[in-house]
Amino acid sequence: MICAGIDIGSITAKAALINGKDLLGTLVIPTGYHHLNAGIRVFDTLLQQNGLSRTDISFVVSTGYGRASVDFADKTMTEILCHGAGAHFLNPDIRGVIDVGGQDSKAILLDDQGRVENFAMNDKCAAGTGRFLEVMARALEVALDQMGEVGQKADNPSKISSICTVFAESEVISMIARQEKRENIIAGIHDAAAARVANLAAKIRIRGPVMMTGGVAKNSGMAAALEKRLKLPLIIESFSQETGAIGAAVLAAGTG
Amino acid sequence: MSEKPVDTTKIRSVKKMRDLMTTYYLEALSAGQNNKQVAWITSGGPVEPLVAMDIIPVYPENHGAMIGSAKMGEELCAKAEEMGYSFDLCSYARADIACSVEKGGPIGGLPRPDMLICCNNICGTVLKWYEIQARFYNVPLFILDTPICHTGYTPDIAAYVRAQVDEYIVFLENVTQRKLDHDKMTQVGKLSFEGQRLWQKVLNTTAHKPSPMSAFDAFFFLALIVTLRGTPIAVDFYKELIAEMEQRIKDGISSIPHEKYRLLWDNLPVWHRLKWLSARFSGHNACLVADTYTSAWCGAIQYIDEDNFLDSIAQAYTRIYLNIGVDQMADQVLDMIRFYDVNGLVMHSNRSCKPYSFGQMDIMKTVREKTGLPVLMIEADMVDPRSFSQAQAETRIDTFMEIIKQREA
Amino acid sequence: MKEIERFHEAVNNIFDTVLKIQKTNRKIIGYLCSYAPEEIIHAAGFHPMRLFSSKHEIILAENHLQSYCCSVVRGILEDSLAGRLDFLDGTVFPHTCDSMQRLSDIWRMNGKYQFFADLVLPAKLNTNSAAIYMKKVLARFKEDLEAAVGKKIIDTDLADSIALCNSIRKHLLTIYGLNCRYPGSIRGVDLYALVKGAMIMDRKEAADLLAGIVSHLEQKVYPDSPAKRVILSGSLCDTPDIFDAVEAAGGAVVGDDLCTGQRWFDSAVAEDEDPLSAIASRLMGRVICPAKHAGLTFRAKNLVSLVRRNRAAGVIFLMLKFCDPHAFDYPYLKEFLDKNGIKSTVLEMDGLQQSQGQFSTRIETFIHML
Repeated sequence: MICAGIDIGSITAKAALINGKDLLGTLVIPTGYHHLNAGIRVFDTLLQQNGLSRTDISFVVSTGYGRASVDFADKTMTEILCHGAGAHFLNPDIRGVIDVGGQDSKAILLDDQGRVENFAMNDKCAAGTGRFLEVMARALEVALDQMGEVGQKADNPSKISSICTVFAESEVISMIARQEKRENIIAGIHDAAAARVANLAAKIRIRGPVMMTGGVAKNSGMAAALEKRLKLPLIIESFSQETGAIGAAVLAAGTG
Repeated sequence: MSEKPVDTTKIRSVKKMRDLMTTYYLEALSAGQNNKQVAWITSGGPVEPLVAMDIIPVYPENHGAMIGSAKMGEELCAKAEEMGYSFDLCSYARADIACSVEKGGPIGGLPRPDMLICCNNICGTVLKWYEIQARFYNVPLFILDTPICHTGYTPDIAAYVRAQVDEYIVFLENVTQRKLDHDKMTQVGKLSFEGQRLWQKVLNTTAHKPSPMSAFDAFFFLALIVTLRGTPIAVDFYKELIAEMEQRIKDGISSIPHEKYRLLWDNLPVWHRLKWLSARFSGHNACLVADTYTSAWCGAIQYIDEDNFLDSIAQAYTRIYLNIGVDQMADQVLDMIRFYDVNGLVMHSNRSCKPYSFGQMDIMKTVREKTGLPVLMIEADMVDPRSFSQAQAETRIDTFMEIIKQREA
Repeated sequence: MKEIERFHEAVNNIFDTVLKIQKTNRKIIGYLCSYAPEEIIHAAGFHPMRLFSSKHEIILAENHLQSYCCSVVRGILEDSLAGRLDFLDGTVFPHTCDSMQRLSDIWRMNGKYQFFADLVLPAKLNTNSAAIYMKKVLARFKEDLEAAVGKKIIDTDLADSIALCNSIRKHLLTIYGLNCRYPGSIRGVDLYALVKGAMIMDRKEAADLLAGIVSHLEQKVYPDSPAKRVILSGSLCDTPDIFDAVEAAGGAVVGDDLCTGQRWFDSAVAEDEDPLSAIASRLMGRVICPAKHAGLTFRAKNLVSLVRRNRAAGVIFLMLKFCDPHAFDYPYLKEFLDKNGIKSTVLEMDGLQQSQGQFSTRIETFIHML
């Protein structure tokens, strides 16, 4: 029985196919303006890549912010449940998941079956999300995907104290004015964002092994800062970005 | 409170004050070994019965100020957030609550309380904060409920608070298993009155031009009238401090080298940026000569009858600054503007203190209308640096000072 | 049901509701929290009406209250300054939190309405001296109202108003009970409209309509509901979407401890006592607002017992951003629930700017966890 998961995030749309215990394939594309179109495109392209058609799929679960717009899905599930299930599928030992996406960040506690025991999510404030990093990257004129690498070169990380994204941005700008080293500022930004995420993790008393998922997991600087804050190693799979879609497919297999 | 701005001519009493505070905290921390009981009390609470009953009063708010000055606020506040307390809550409370669990902070945490005394004349926050600590330490809590006097002090309020003063004494007698010595109470009452009178006199010295000390010094010297009110230590110290200030005036020694502009500060200090703020203003030859905060510990002295102390404290503790209407607060600000003859008002919009900060904009409007003085508002927090943007404050302060300079030119 | 529709109409169009009442020659007194003694206001011949947070953007209130003030306090001031509350003849501010205190000062200094009263109630509700003081505050308030209308409030009028308010309380309690026994017997948004409407509409009309709704609902037979049962806990809930989101996720709200919910109507005023003393006793004894004190674990015990009585599986905390009293209580309430094996989650609310996506994600995940 082949099942599919589709995760429509704020920045990217992801799809995954599984057959029993096997992951057949995943795909990531930009979401763009139209959620349903993104869902159709990511799903159909992935099917095509695997030589499958829609009739081969027994059950589809959609997740993410745009989950309701995927009208061909059999069921919708929240991305928290899906990230939990996905992490468990990729590594059954995982008990904690930290998902940092574009819009928000979450800390999730799992039981030994991969079910969500507790979770915490950032409030309206953007600090500690991909958005925060994006704003800062723009102020520093660094490509978002370069930040991790650049930040790792810091010799004396700057200290950003403000929590508010707007305040933090003005702090960063005054650091630029003082000609502080870009890599040090970036390391400071990672630490500030990591502090917010670590705070969420502490609220649910996260326990290891912990997997980091979501787009920001690709930022090595942020991951390193988070490990330091949590005093726990983070497991980052190559499928970090697709974990939600994989989880949706897993849950589809469970319900279908 | 332990941080002092750089002065051209140091105030000698600073060292003595530091020693007195160290002794006080050492005594408080070793209370258990000396078979003494410790009461945690809010800064606006009636401490005198505690002093009269030989109970050591400890002030979590003063501790909060120390945490802020030591720049340990961020870490402790974040710890409280991990415990589930919102970032939007008072940073004194957050830091203190976290400190009780962590035993952290500049002095490794306060001594364990045997009882908690909470007077809500300064805010409703202390009520919640002390409930939390009463649950944590599992000790008795006494609440002195002082209804806010929006437009005046009614006979109903008077009777209610007066009845609670008696309940307070009964509470203390029950917890300590000792009777209050009324002669000693009278004596402590007189010392408290004298301490407050002298503290007002200290603050009054800054009406002199140039001012012999600044509000930043007042923030520092305040600790004694808060923690040792009702003792001869506070009375003796403030006498010496007044003498030193009078000598400085005579010798022409001023708080900042070239005092050209005089400013009034409103709200609690930004404990983690005292030095920076002081330097920023003195860089413009501006001295913060007075503030609405430190005078709160002598502002209700008019209601105290030193010969009838327990009867009169009901009114004195109920009618303090903050437990009155915003219009009355504005009147007091206007009085201070006149008395200290200032060129502008600096308001700290303090995220941690809602009763102090909400209403500031209306006070600002009144001050502008009645005096035409420039008013600056700085967004910050007394302890938590994460709600402060130094770059933004810098721009605001510099612009404000430009306006004052143009106006006074 | 057309009776329920009437409540929705009243809630959705407060201005028309007000006009109808004004046509009966009654003046309108707005009040700010559930500690306002409606009975006394009503007996004086005024119409008591609860004020809610604004549905509009904060513009004018920005000049009086900083951004870290809650949306209820800022919103009510905004509505007042924008002239949207010009129908009011007066307002009453019962003592609650620090922000409300300062709103009262700002309100009074702006002096827009004829009648103004601060009801400086005790913050401590578990002592004898506080009880004596509470009664004095109410007596003084009664005198203030009498001075405003130019005549005495007689005890029989006060008794009638008490009976009327009690009947609303009784009906709402019955409907809550039915909804708890048979989730789905009434929709959450309808329940919300009934409670909010009863704080706004003419009290006699509300009481009569509620009586009709009760008998209608009691006649029907309901199937057992598979819905996951949850309790709402917090200050105000003026976001009916919550109920829809809970229901869409397969849950049902079976009780609350909200200021705009059960806390407002959960106990009656004794009708066989001196009226003022009886009103005072109710205010002293009812489920407290966290800005008040009645022992160290009052609210936690009440919440756990509410969960048990209503056989709920979990609690959703609705935290109004910048509401200090509730935010201070949250960790201990959660701990209390944890110890009792009751699951909970927290939703932060901030007036208009609700992030719908996050909102339903949280609720769905939580209901799934139960």
